[in-house]
Amino acid sequence: MSDQIETMINEVFEESFEIEKDQLKPEANIFEDLGLDSLDVVDLVVALQKKFKVEIRTDERIKEIRTLKDLCEFIKDLQAEGSH
Amino acid sequence: MRRVVITGTGSISALGNSMEELINSIEQQVCGTKKMETWDQYKGLQSLVGAPAKLPDFKIIPRKMRRSMGRMSLLATFAAIEALDSASILKDTISNDQRYGCVAGSTMGSAEALNDTFETMLPDHDLTLLKSMGFFQSISHTVSMNLAQYFSITGSVIATSAACASSLQALGTGFDLIRHNTQDVVLCGGAEELHPTVTGSFDILFATSVKYNDTPKKTPRPFDKDRDGLVCGEGAGIIVLEELEHAKNRGANILAEVKGYNTCGSGNHISHSDRKAMIQCMDSALIDAKVQPSEIDFVNAHATATLQGDTEEAAAIHSIFGPDTPVNSFKGYLGHTLGASGAIELAVIIEMMNNNIIYPTLNLDNVDKTCNMINHVTTKQNKNIGFILKNCFAFGGINASIILKKYEEINE
Repeated sequence: MSDQIETMINEVFEESFEIEKDQLKPEANIFEDLGLDSLDVVDLVVALQKKFKVEIRTDERIKEIRTLKDLCEFIKDLQAEGSH
Repeated sequence: MRRVVITGTGSISALGNSMEELINSIEQQVCGTKKMETWDQYKGLQSLVGAPAKLPDFKIIPRKMRRSMGRMSLLATFAAIEALDSASILKDTISNDQRYGCVAGSTMGSAEALNDTFETMLPDHDLTLLKSMGFFQSISHTVSMNLAQYFSITGSVIATSAACASSLQALGTGFDLIRHNTQDVVLCGGAEELHPTVTGSFDILFATSVKYNDTPKKTPRPFDKDRDGLVCGEGAGIIVLEELEHAKNRGANILAEVKGYNTCGSGNHISHSDRKAMIQCMDSALIDAKVQPSEIDFVNAHATATLQGDTEEAAAIHSIFGPDTPVNSFKGYLGHTLGASGAIELAVIIEMMNNNIIYPTLNLDNVDKTCNMINHVTTKQNKNIGFILKNCFAFGGINASIILKKYEEINE
């Protein structure tokens, strides 16, 4: 499941932000390493909402996300919450 | 006042992605109009023709620069790259220098971006799936803003938004900025994109061509007795205006001199053309240029092939220039590129001036009797051209005219 989430997140970064596959490592910082800025984060949220069928626009936890691994953990947590 | 010259031109349109392709297509009498195959899905849309451009590989523009660009801003960026290249001005030169500016216009922001925004938001009245860039792509100053960002322009950045007069107003504004010593070099022009909502806006007013959906190369037909309205086109034109001494000091190839400009309102109707206001606009441009009507070697008309607009313009031109001054329109080649038309068409005129050629009005087979009081160019002519006057007239009663002079150093 985790691998699948990671793959889907990586697809978002490839499709929406034109990031090359080899840059998409779990420890990559989405701002410093992948070059996103605050405007990109708006689009990242939209893309994740579509990809995972979630509503996260006002979720405060997004502000703490720095790496792809953080993002993967966040989505996993969301899905766990949803399954309860 | 300081003198202002033109040192570079760039364009993208239905007739190609460079000035060379554009001029070659006009030489070969190519009409850029095509049948828009998917437009029959729109109930009530009568005009199924357009003059679309073919966008080059836009991925050469870095993503962060490109993300705020709708189609019209992409078109403008490619035209600007060509214009600066033809002016032999490096991107590094124009960047971060307060004496380099940018004035560019369009009718509105990207129609595609606006449409996407409403299609996303309206079905469920839900904003949560709106992307960050819809705003930047659809704002009224999207073209000038994006050019300024792409070239790191820190001088004047201005958007002129007056529908079909937008890019001629941009040129006039750039002319003023340089002659009044606010700027030394200004990228001027405009862009427009083809979209069913754009054609539809004219279509519901019965201003579009509707009889030639199956014979698209026969429309638009400026001044012709069988004209039936305009054909929307798309593209971008960017022209480099430069202060004369600045251009001479860097050894620039000077293409023409801007001598006069005027823009004025008709003030009496939002869509009816008004010959009195057109006359006022052309007269004022002549006064600004200190040029007599008899000195103008040809007039490039706005002439979009609407019934009333062409008639009013022909009467206005006749009133000032009489029956002998050659007159043409480029809409039969390019369609009506709206906010881009002034700059794209002026770029063609500069080529014509320097080659002493006047290209004919395409699709003008039988001059309409309401337009026959002026000297229509129906075949390619060779003529020494010293001065030209170009018109753009927009919905909203906005008029603009500009006067160029061939630049000949020996006489200066």
